[in-house]
Amino acid sequence: MSAPATSGRSFAVFYSILFFAFLFGPLLIMTVTAFNSSSFPRVTPWECFTTEWFSVLINNDRLMQGLVTSIFIGIGVVAISVPVGLAGALALSEINPALRSALYTVLITPVLIPGVVLGISTIVFWGNLGRSLGGGAQDLFFNGIFLTIVGQVTFISAYAMLIFSARLQRFDPTLTEAALDLGATPGQAFRRILLPFLRPAIGSAAFLTLLASFENYNTTVFTILADNTFTTALASKIRYGTDPSLSALAVIIIAVTLIGAITHEAYTRRREAILGGAAARSALYTNPLGRIVTHPATIFALLVVLAGFAVWKGSQHEAAECKMQIMDEKRANQERLLEEQRLRMQQQPQNAPQAPAQPGTPPAGTNPSPFGGAFGNVAPGASAPAPATPAPPATTNPSPFGGAFGNVAPGATPAPAAPQPPPQPPADANPSPFGGAFKNIAPAP
Amino acid sequence: MERIKGIFGDFVGRHGLGVAIYISASVLVWVIVLIALPQVAMLDYSFRHNLPPAQIGGPEDVYTISNYSYFLFGNGESFNALDTGVLFKTLFAAAIVTFIDILICYPIAFILAHSATGVAARMMVLGLIVPFWVNEILRAFAFRVIFGATGLVNGIGMGMGLWDTPVDFIRADVALYSSLTYSYILLMVFPIYNAVEALDRNQIEAAQDMGAPWWRVHWRIVLPVAKPGIASGATIVFMLTAGALAAPQIIGGPSNLWFTQLVYQWFNDASNWQRGAAYATILLGSCLTFVLLLMKVFRVPIGAIGR
Repeated sequence: MSAPATSGRSFAVFYSILFFAFLFGPLLIMTVTAFNSSSFPRVTPWECFTTEWFSVLINNDRLMQGLVTSIFIGIGVVAISVPVGLAGALALSEINPALRSALYTVLITPVLIPGVVLGISTIVFWGNLGRSLGGGAQDLFFNGIFLTIVGQVTFISAYAMLIFSARLQRFDPTLTEAALDLGATPGQAFRRILLPFLRPAIGSAAFLTLLASFENYNTTVFTILADNTFTTALASKIRYGTDPSLSALAVIIIAVTLIGAITHEAYTRRREAILGGAAARSALYTNPLGRIVTHPATIFALLVVLAGFAVWKGSQHEAAECKMQIMDEKRANQERLLEEQRLRMQQQPQNAPQAPAQPGTPPAGTNPSPFGGAFGNVAPGASAPAPATPAPPATTNPSPFGGAFGNVAPGATPAPAAPQPPPQPPADANPSPFGGAFKNIAPAP
Repeated sequence: MERIKGIFGDFVGRHGLGVAIYISASVLVWVIVLIALPQVAMLDYSFRHNLPPAQIGGPEDVYTISNYSYFLFGNGESFNALDTGVLFKTLFAAAIVTFIDILICYPIAFILAHSATGVAARMMVLGLIVPFWVNEILRAFAFRVIFGATGLVNGIGMGMGLWDTPVDFIRADVALYSSLTYSYILLMVFPIYNAVEALDRNQIEAAQDMGAPWWRVHWRIVLPVAKPGIASGATIVFMLTAGALAAPQIIGGPSNLWFTQLVYQWFNDASNWQRGAAYATILLGSCLTFVLLLMKVFRVPIGAIGR
């Protein structure tokens, strides 16, 4: 009898663990990469513990600009879609059943229509309208923020509507009838009975619509036109190269979420204990100190202080020493590889003087450029080509060819316009695709 | 018209004139200005030529089906295998992702509804919601970190000596499908949960007492109850997956396009809004057809969605 039940139980536990591992695994990995000093977000190889990516994130002007735009749009969307969603839910709950399913189908379609389609239809429609109206309307209807608010309201209102509908299903209409019987006007009954009943739903609808607006990409990327929201700025940043500052952003979001979730849990438990009468019996709740400690506000404050302490501690952390060490290791590794290469080069002319360079030699281990070691091999092998002291790749070279050309420039004609002075601080992060590569060709000036 | 007046009068009687005006005006603006007219405008736009602004409304501005025929035949006479192929691949992949989501989410929804209690259940709900709060873009990014050439999977696999050279999971679209599956889990779990929760636990126990094995209990008792929830979740997940843009842009393979990316390219790279509108219409039409077809096959009414 109990055997299948236990096996079912253990399966449930086992499956839940697997499921939540899948759910949280990516987030955990992202969190870890936020603290690795490697310039590409990764867990292995681990380099140094660092908090620098958080300041990189905060100093990204485009993202921060987008954040302001996003907040502005979010407020607009909440202000419109919550009342519209409420109106939709009320209309659905009170019209006759035949019309109800038709209206429901119409109102729910924006959720199902691909966001791309919604975005396009919004800009086309308002663009046409603006053209035919002319004048000031044209400016407004071609404004990215206006279009984004309108486009998002179209489907986010449906989210709000679903929340209100769920709450309205539990509403007892006799309450309104009682109020009317007692002499309240219909308007009063609405304000004093129905709205207070819906208040929790208004809160969660506002929260959900804000979140949906903030997160939306598919519609916004079309309607925002030349402007940028936080999400579109984020997406373009990821598409054109990544660094762990995005992981740092995820860490911030997860931390905020967890603080909110734990506070909410504390609130729910306390409420349940009080409503269920357990509070009066429990020692924790009757004790004044215990009451303060278990209050959600205390827990929230505690968590915020904890997070603040982590931020302060993190800002004190200095990873420079460890990074220097890693750099030295890399440089040593590179020197060793170059040495090996030179030995091979010297042997090569003896074996086959005419033979072209061998492309098969693996490039230097840490060289991010696909041409890294290969070009070193192309360099004429007659005389020992490798630079006596291998120039490490440049770090802070803003121009993609800057350092490279500076070094390639033959010694006969001095290159006065070489944008960077040759001695550069070594670093692993080489922003230039060719910077390190060409250094291997020509001897350092 | 009489009917609308009747409904309006009903609202006035129940909530007063102000509230009635607010409800009717909001719903009408929402349905007409926000939902219906833009779709009509897009449809109209998709049948027009891509003209410079000066010629719009002029004699050249006539209806055409060239944007749609381009989708089928390209510039020449031959079949446009590339774009149609992308559409079929997108729909097929979205269907696969939806199916995997059903498989993953059905057990967890059942556990959540019938095995977990109290704190455990609340923690599970929280655990489901927290990943959903992280931005969609960042979720896709996480899968790039995991599946990239120097990512975690390759690092572990090569570290354990399972394979020598990095496996290109991104080109193989493994990363994309995993990310899409991951992204919409919540939207599959909750509809199924809502449906399964209504099931009377005594029915399961009765079946077990009569000797039914666990799979038959699910097949004959739980699944019929869960069906509307599964249909609802599957519809939402399928439409969102087929319409996804961020994930394919971030972790899509370089040679594999998602249909939304074609739409995006016509709009932003080629500046041909008309053709982009036509492609968007094609996407919408084929997705809706596919979903309605499946709902017909499984005999689920469209009103079940979102409930």
